Amino acid sequence: MVDQWLQAQSFLGVVVDWSSTRALLGLSLVVIAGALIGEGVFRFLGLPRIVGYSLVGLGVAVSGHGVAATGEIPPVVRMILDLALALLLFELGARVRLRWLRTNPFLLVTSLAESLLTFGTVYLAMRYLGLDTPSAAAVAVLAVPASPAVIARVASEFGAEGQVTERVYMLSALNTLYGVFASKLLLAWLDLDQGQNPVQAIVQPLYVFVGSFLLAGLLGYGVARVARGLDLRNENATLLLLGLITLALALTKTFGWSTLLVPLMAGLWLRNTTERPWVWPRHFGTAGGVLVLMLFVIVGSAWPVEGLAAGGLLALAAMAARAAAKSAAVFMLGWFSGQSLRQGVGVSLALTPLSATALVMYADLQGSHAGFAAQLAPVALSSIAIMELLGALAVLGALRSAGEIAARRP
Amino acid sequence: MTLEAFAPSQPLTLGVELELAIVNTHDYDLSPSSADLLRLMGKRKIPGDVKPEMTDSMIELSTGICTGYDDALSQLTEIRDALVDCARKLNVGLCGGGTHPFQDWSERRIFNTPRFHMLSELYGYLSKQFTIFGQHVHVGCPGPDEALVLLHGLSRFIPHFIALSASSPYVQGTDTGFHSARLNSVFAFPLSGRAPFVTTWDDFGTFFGKMTRTGVVQSMKDFYWDIRPKPEFGTIEVRVLDTPLTIEKAAALAAYIQCVAAWLSKEQPFPLEEDDYLVYTFNRFQACRFGPEGTFVDPKTGEHRSLREDILFTMGAIEHHAIELKADGALRYLRSELQRHGNDATWARQVHEREHLLAEVVRQQCLRWSGDLVV
Repeated sequence: MVDQWLQAQSFLGVVVDWSSTRALLGLSLVVIAGALIGEGVFRFLGLPRIVGYSLVGLGVAVSGHGVAATGEIPPVVRMILDLALALLLFELGARVRLRWLRTNPFLLVTSLAESLLTFGTVYLAMRYLGLDTPSAAAVAVLAVPASPAVIARVASEFGAEGQVTERVYMLSALNTLYGVFASKLLLAWLDLDQGQNPVQAIVQPLYVFVGSFLLAGLLGYGVARVARGLDLRNENATLLLLGLITLALALTKTFGWSTLLVPLMAGLWLRNTTERPWVWPRHFGTAGGVLVLMLFVIVGSAWPVEGLAAGGLLALAAMAARAAAKSAAVFMLGWFSGQSLRQGVGVSLALTPLSATALVMYADLQGSHAGFAAQLAPVALSSIAIMELLGALAVLGALRSAGEIAARRP
Repeated sequence: MTLEAFAPSQPLTLGVELELAIVNTHDYDLSPSSADLLRLMGKRKIPGDVKPEMTDSMIELSTGICTGYDDALSQLTEIRDALVDCARKLNVGLCGGGTHPFQDWSERRIFNTPRFHMLSELYGYLSKQFTIFGQHVHVGCPGPDEALVLLHGLSRFIPHFIALSASSPYVQGTDTGFHSARLNSVFAFPLSGRAPFVTTWDDFGTFFGKMTRTGVVQSMKDFYWDIRPKPEFGTIEVRVLDTPLTIEKAAALAAYIQCVAAWLSKEQPFPLEEDDYLVYTFNRFQACRFGPEGTFVDPKTGEHRSLREDILFTMGAIEHHAIELKADGALRYLRSELQRHGNDATWARQVHEREHLLAEVVRQQCLRWSGDLVV
C-alpha cells in the first residue's frame, strides 16, 4: 500500500520531505501540547499553567529528545532559554525596590542569612554524603537561588499580591544575584586550584561582573528613555523593548558576560534609578509568552532519565537541606522584618523552586569546565527536575495559604 | 430599638477620621495590605486609633478629641508619621484622594469581620464599590437639641465642604468630569441623603422609633447621611468630605467646620426652615460636579452665585470666631489653596496633564501624604 502510494507520489512529481521540517514540526507540536496541557491543568486542577508546560518537557525527555540526552544544550535551545529567562529576570528586577532594604534592614539580613545558610547546609550535607569539596561547593552554589522564573510566572498568573509576594520577589532577585556571583567565583577558584594563571583566574570573574553591570546600565537606561517617550502599554512600544533586550542579550553572549546578571541588573537599574512607575504588559506581550512556555518545556525536558537513579538520592538530600536552611532563616528573622508567622510559612515554601536559572548556571559551568560539569550532571539535573514541579506547586500553595491570590483571576 | 441617650461632650471640640488608600509601590494600584499594616501599627502608641474599613486596601485613622486646629494637626501628624513608617516597612504607600484613580472595584476583597461580610451580603457590589475614601469630622455639642440645630445649620454649608475637599476626579482610569466623583458612590446607598428636619431630640427619637419599627434600620450606623448625629460621642458627624491629599488640609477643613459651627451656634445668622432643603440637592450636585466654580443657590433669597464667592464671604464672616478659636491659620491656608489650585481634584488633573500616567499621579499623591512633596 505504501509502495503504491510512494510510486504515485514520484509519478506526480510530489515531494514530501519530512527531514527538512522536523524541527518546525517538533516545535509546533510542543507549543500546541504545552498550551493544551497547560490550560487543562489550570482549568481542571487549578494549578499553574507552567506545570503543564513542564509535563510536556518531561514527555520530550522521556521520548529521548530531552536536553539532558545529548549531554549539552544545543545552541538554538540555549538561545531560547536565555531570551525567555532574560525577559523574566528583567521583569523581576523591575519589581524590586532596593530602597525597601533600607527602610526594612532586617529584610537584607534575612536575605544574606538564608543564602549563606543554604550554601553552608547544602555543602555540609553533600560532603557528608561523599562528594568531594569542589562538587559539594558547586551543588551548594546551584542551590542558593530560588527560581525567579517560577515565582514570577506563578505570582503573575494568579494575580498574587501581598507581603509574601513582595518578599519572595525581593529574596529571589537577591539570591539569584548572590548565586550567579558565587558561581563565577567558584569557577575562578576551580581554575586556581587546577593551577591556572592566578591573574587570569581573578580577572575573569571581575570582567564578567563589571561588563555585565555596565551593559545592564545601558539597557536600563535605554528602556527608560523609550518608556519616557512611548506608552509602554501599546504593542509597538513593547516590540521595541523586546528588541532592546534581545540586542543586549546578543552583546552579552558576544562579550562573554553573564546572561543572567545583565537582564536582572538592568531591571533593577530601571526600577531603582527612576521614581516613575513603569507599567507594561506581562512578558512584553505574546512573543514573550511563547518564549516563556518554551522555557518551562526546555527545563522540563532536562529531566535526566538515566541520571535520576544515580543522582536522585543526593538531589533529594540537597533539596531537603536547602529547604530547611531557607525556612530556618526566614522564620528566625521574619518577626523582625514585620512578617507574620503565616507569612513566614508562605515565604519559606515559595523559596523552594529551582528551574531555569540553575539550569543556565549549570550550562555555563559546562561551557567552561565540561568534565567537572559532567560529574555534577546527575545531582544537578535531578535537583532541577525535582524542584521544578514541586516548586511550582509549593509557590501556589504558599500564595494560597497566605491569602494572596486575587479575587478575580486575570 | 430605642435611640440611645446623647452623651455629654465639650462644645466645638473636634474629632477627625480619615480613610486612606493603601497602594503597592510598583504600579500604584490598591494593595490588600490593611491586615499587615494594622498588625504593625498595633505595636505603636498613637494619640488616636487605626481601624480597618470595608475592603482590605483601605485603612481608617481617627484622632482623639481635638481642641482646635493646632491640636488636630499635631495629632494627625503623629498618626500619619507612624502609619507611613509602618507602610515603608511593608513596601506599600499610603495616599489620600476620594477615589483611587484606576482601581477596579471587582478586584477588591472584603475585610474579614462579621459586620463587613454582613454589609457585603446586603449591599452586593455596592460594598466593593464603596472602596472610596472620606474624611469625617465630629463636632462636639452641648446637648442633643443643640446638636440637631447645628446639624441643620451646617447643611447649608455642605457644598462648601465638598468643593474645598474634593479630590476624586478619576474613577476606573477615566476623568469623570466631577471634582468629587466619590459622593456618587455614597448616594447609591438607600439610606443616604440627609436627616429629617426635626430640631429636638425627642422628635428625632420618634422618627428613629418609626424607622426601627419598620425594620429598615437597626442603629444609627445604618444611616449614610451627609451629616449624622453620633449620640455615643455626643457629636454630629460631617461625612461628606473627600479625604484630602495632605493632613494640613484635613486639619484646616476640620477647623473651618469648627469656625462655621461656632458662628452658627453663637450668632444664629440664619433662621432654620424646612424650605432651606429645597436647594440642597442642587447645590450639592453643583459642588460635586464643578467644585468651587459650581453654582450656589442661596436658600433664603434664591440668588445664584459661585460657590467660590460664597466660601470667601463665609470666611470673612467667621474671621473673628477663627481668631478666637486660634484657627485663623487654617482659614489662611484654605484661602490660599482656593486661589492656587482650587482643590486637590484640580491639582490631580494638572499632574495628569503633565505626566499622562495615572500611576504617576498616585505616586505623587503618596508623596504629598507623607509630607515628602510640598506643592
